[in-house]
Amino acid sequence: MARDPRHDVLFEPVPIGPKTLRNRFYQSPHCTSFGADLPGSQAHIRAMKAEGGWAAVNTEFCSVHPSSDSRPLVSARLWDDDDARNLGRMAELAHEHGALAGVELWHGGCVAGNLESRLPARSVSQMTDESLYSTSCYELDKAGIREIQGYYVAAARRARDVGFDMINIEGAECGAITQHFLMSKFNRRTDEYGGALENRARFWLEVVEQVREAVGGDCAITARLCVDTLNDNPLGIRAAEEAYQFIELGDHLVDFWDLQAGGYVAAEWAGDDAVASRFAGEFSHREYIEAVRPATRKPIAAVGRFTNPDTMAAAIRSGVIDIIAAARPSIADPFLPQKIEQGRYDEIRECIGCNICASRFGQGAPIVCTQNATLGEEFRRGWHPERFTKASNAEKTVLVVGAGPAGMECAMVLGKRGLSAVHLVEAADALGGSLRAISAYPHLGEWGRVTTYRQIQLDKLDNVEVILKRRLDAEAVFTYGAEVVVVATGARWRADGMNGPTQAPIPGAEYDFVHTPEQVSAVNGAIDGEHVLVYDTDGYFTAVGMAEMLLAAGKRVTVVTSFPNFASFMFFTGEAFRVNRELRAQGIEIVTGHLLSEITPERLRGQSVWAPDPVQWSADAVVLVTQREPLDSLYHELRADPWRLQREGIEAVYRVGDCVAPRTIAENVFDGHRLAREIDTDDPATPLPFLRELPDVRRERSPVA
Amino acid sequence: MKVLVAVKQVARLRDGLVLDGSAVVPDEALEWAPNEWDAFALEAALRLREDAGGGEVVVATVGGEEAEESLRAGLAMGTDRAVRVWDPSLRGADPLAIAAVLAKLAAAEQPEVILCGAQAADAANAATGLALAGLLDLAHVTVVNAVERDGSALVVGRELDGGAVETLRVSLPVLLTIQTGANRPRRANLRAIKQAREQPIETLTPAVLGLGEQELAAAAGARTVRLLEPVRERATMIDGPASAIAARIAEIVAAELQA
Amino acid sequence: MSGVLVLAELAGGAGSPLGLRPSSLELIDAGRALGEQGAGALTVALIGAAADAHADALQLPGVAEIVTVSTPDEHFEAHVSQAALEELIRERRPAVVLAGHTSDSLAFVAAVAARGRHGFAGDVTSVSWGEHGVLARRGAYGERLLAELDFPGKSTVLLQLRAGAPAAGAGSGDAGSAGATPGGVGVASAASAAATVSRLEIDLEGTARTERLELREPPAGGADVAEADFLLSIGRGVGSADGVPRLQRLAERMGAALSVSGPLVEAGWAPRGLKVGQSGRTVAPRVYLALGISGAAQHLAGMSGSRTIIAVNCDAGARIFDVADHGAVADLFEVADELERLFA
Repeated sequence: MARDPRHDVLFEPVPIGPKTLRNRFYQSPHCTSFGADLPGSQAHIRAMKAEGGWAAVNTEFCSVHPSSDSRPLVSARLWDDDDARNLGRMAELAHEHGALAGVELWHGGCVAGNLESRLPARSVSQMTDESLYSTSCYELDKAGIREIQGYYVAAARRARDVGFDMINIEGAECGAITQHFLMSKFNRRTDEYGGALENRARFWLEVVEQVREAVGGDCAITARLCVDTLNDNPLGIRAAEEAYQFIELGDHLVDFWDLQAGGYVAAEWAGDDAVASRFAGEFSHREYIEAVRPATRKPIAAVGRFTNPDTMAAAIRSGVIDIIAAARPSIADPFLPQKIEQGRYDEIRECIGCNICASRFGQGAPIVCTQNATLGEEFRRGWHPERFTKASNAEKTVLVVGAGPAGMECAMVLGKRGLSAVHLVEAADALGGSLRAISAYPHLGEWGRVTTYRQIQLDKLDNVEVILKRRLDAEAVFTYGAEVVVVATGARWRADGMNGPTQAPIPGAEYDFVHTPEQVSAVNGAIDGEHVLVYDTDGYFTAVGMAEMLLAAGKRVTVVTSFPNFASFMFFTGEAFRVNRELRAQGIEIVTGHLLSEITPERLRGQSVWAPDPVQWSADAVVLVTQREPLDSLYHELRADPWRLQREGIEAVYRVGDCVAPRTIAENVFDGHRLAREIDTDDPATPLPFLRELPDVRRERSPVA
Repeated sequence: MKVLVAVKQVARLRDGLVLDGSAVVPDEALEWAPNEWDAFALEAALRLREDAGGGEVVVATVGGEEAEESLRAGLAMGTDRAVRVWDPSLRGADPLAIAAVLAKLAAAEQPEVILCGAQAADAANAATGLALAGLLDLAHVTVVNAVERDGSALVVGRELDGGAVETLRVSLPVLLTIQTGANRPRRANLRAIKQAREQPIETLTPAVLGLGEQELAAAAGARTVRLLEPVRERATMIDGPASAIAARIAEIVAAELQA
Repeated sequence: MSGVLVLAELAGGAGSPLGLRPSSLELIDAGRALGEQGAGALTVALIGAAADAHADALQLPGVAEIVTVSTPDEHFEAHVSQAALEELIRERRPAVVLAGHTSDSLAFVAAVAARGRHGFAGDVTSVSWGEHGVLARRGAYGERLLAELDFPGKSTVLLQLRAGAPAAGAGSGDAGSAGATPGGVGVASAASAAATVSRLEIDLEGTARTERLELREPPAGGADVAEADFLLSIGRGVGSADGVPRLQRLAERMGAALSVSGPLVEAGWAPRGLKVGQSGRTVAPRVYLALGISGAAQHLAGMSGSRTIIAVNCDAGARIFDVADHGAVADLFEVADELERLFA
């Protein structure tokens, strides 16, 4: 398809101070857990986006001094020249692809746990942070303020010296000292850095000014500002008030603005940054950006999980923003800008807003993406999302059994690697596997994009046949005629209540009023009974989906979870607060820290994790969300008869996805991808080693203050 | 039961074609694939053979080497033989010319039933099968969505405009053109596909079948003078209040559906 | 050979005639225009058991002659019509025969063309008369291109015209319009004498080769998205889940099947099975009425084969208007309410 002229506006250059963005696509700063310690991974993940057409790529939040140490969360760092040298690799590679490189300078003030540096935290006022345990910070005096401001300047110089083009002084997501100074909630000072907004803005604006003075001739200067803390609290930031005034005050100091709304910590606040798709679609914070637009004459970059070029073009044309900032869309598809530019709309891999990417950061682990299996593997495995080498065994034919996320991904990559014939055979009448039911859970419709993208790509591959409504037993697989067989038959929820906490089934699970999530999905929540108890030892979206589906079907719902919180894992995806609030507001009863020990028609027996005496509940029906088991009988049957395999010319049988061990969709897609990438190695079942980036123990160390 | 199935490898234009005013599209600009209708015709043929307890299904096409893909698809589904008839002068031939070639082949094969797709995805004349029946003076039914054997006759469903279905009995020999959705075509597994690659395809020319150059030329029903880019006009806009818009929409819908 | 012979068809099937099919009126218009360009006099033929009774309906401006052919059975039979047409051509020797591209014509016209070594083209979108005879235009390569055809050496040419094709002359000499212009009954350009009416003498007894066992009318509503002739398709413009059942009702009233664009499935407002688009169903109905659909490329890929596309969207710049044949910039619910009134 040719590019739609409506999208031409996205490819206009935007001057920002001494630099120019070659188009309007700006990868806004986002976490990776690579920091400066894994410079290869850092450089290559950003370079991939640069190659994919992003005019600018940024680091994640970058600590300017050991007094702001985010361990166990991984930030980038510019504490010394070694850090700078490492991060500089990113700027080098970005430049090779014609993109600008930016660093987001951060000092966390009191939210820095300093578990590595062991320095006391310091901030605008003496206080504690809601997310840290047993720590607080001290209030900075003037000298301390100057010191911190000096750290920013030193870091900016280091960044400039190794080639960075943009310096971003961050104050967003409620996690930076700059923002803490700005907010009355935290700033209780009585000197010229506290009180009226002008005073509260002073610290931040002085940093920007000093950085500008130091490197503004060489670098574009910006500030990442939270324009609204989304709770209409005068102690927070409101777009029409504090943000508006701040922008007016600082407009002459920046070359452009980098704007967002919401925070990541939401005990009091109403809303989130990086909103998950279950809550909102594209550009959901538009009104807040609109509110501050008149305050500035500089270009505005703002995020909004933009995936649709029509939405992007409309936003630019309306004048509300000048630069499309994106984190998650760039994660799902580093080549998003290039695909739009070339009119390859149906090849765009859209972000599904599951926030698995953010969840890894929250666990101190490297970033991954459900849609993009190569994300994070650019360096350590050398994977490129758009390039696939022809398999050295391309003359082989492959049968992939099961078209869930793992099977679809495997068949697609095998197709792209030129295998002579790939048959993807699925028993159901449509692609998607377990994702079909999952994407029909309330609010999870966008997760269906995992299937949509693969369906379109599979359709385009001439060497891949998709065959639906065909259930293959072992005999059919033996006689299918493929040399390579990949079993991707998925998993199912256990009906016996087997669970992690007790490692035992639940007596009474056989009663017919006890259901699995599949059974509930099949009738869209309309199971028998008025009051349903959902037992959750899984901690993620399934129990939430069950509760919402049952509510929508008119049931009264009680959720019992073994965890201290309901939807515990969602603390990592940023969904937990809102999910819990909304479900409670809709009348769901939530019981935490309890096990379900026995089911009888008369009563349900439970056990608190805090007290020895058993408790009782009653309900008309029970839904068990405890654990899944792999559906691997086909795999084992095939492997059990090696002579038959040999006679039928089947050279290898592999398995991928949930049928190996049930995991998240992201891991399943990865699994299918990896096998296909490595289908021509000596032992495809075993992943090839990947590069690690270890510090050299023999290297001379330079101490850090 | 001997069934002849005539299939077509259809052409699709690649992006970026620049027309030069001629009547022919260069080969490099074309992509080929089996006609979507043919799988249903092949499936119907195979079921007739099965139902009769035996027989022969021959898949045939008038096409260049690129058409072998269609024949191999038929062989993979289970046809007994495949025949390709071609002469370069047939490039771009119209339905009547193709029918003339197929008529010679059918005369040589003497099938009891001839099946074709109701139309081809590229040219969509929906005429070749019917023209073939005419030349052979065979009984025919077009746009068939159901086929059953009834002794020495077939009982078929014929799809009419608007979705009504007429059930007809017709004696053999007969030619049917098959509509999509008439059955669920079997999907060949890789073994069958590979075996099909090994099977020979009989390649003939019209001359071999006794159709001389002049006769072939005279059989053609039309000549393409030139190819043009269709001028894609923007929608004709309907103005006025919602009531006027609705009225006009209702008018258009009625005209289109009743035409 | 001269003159134009139009094969008219009765609406409602030959068994329960209600008058002429609109497409037949378009054929007559086209035939008259060809005649004005030099093709000769216009004769209209009607084949069927009730042909005689409907001869008067064919007394239209420009028609010089009406011929009826009486068939032995009430219902249409392909071989009977085939024999009738062959005889008509043998007797009248027209230069051009115009038939609709209808299920009846698709059952016999091409056979007559092949047997008689006549010229032939199906699904023709425009015709004109030139120095060497009739010229026709039709789509090529799945409608991606337009082909201009002539018929050298053919004294009689049989053409099946697509419904809604423009009258003759619109296509000659330029790239012309590939879109449909409704035909309709032409206003008489000049007063003309009444057409002569005659009956073709032919014994069609025993020419039938099929036996009709049953006629089943199509099921009312509930048609599968991919099979339906008329789709009412809704997009994000419906605004909320409540819009869906409301428009489902309208679809039922209008006799359309409901389909949706991708965003509605993502929003959870409609099941996946109704989705039209690259990752959903590909459809090619006669009528595609798109309400609140902007026209994303992936959606267009699924429905661009529709014969007639009508789009209603409040955004005048919506991409759907680039591919639609008819459009209206309006609030879709206002239009929907009015449609519901009309189809009550």
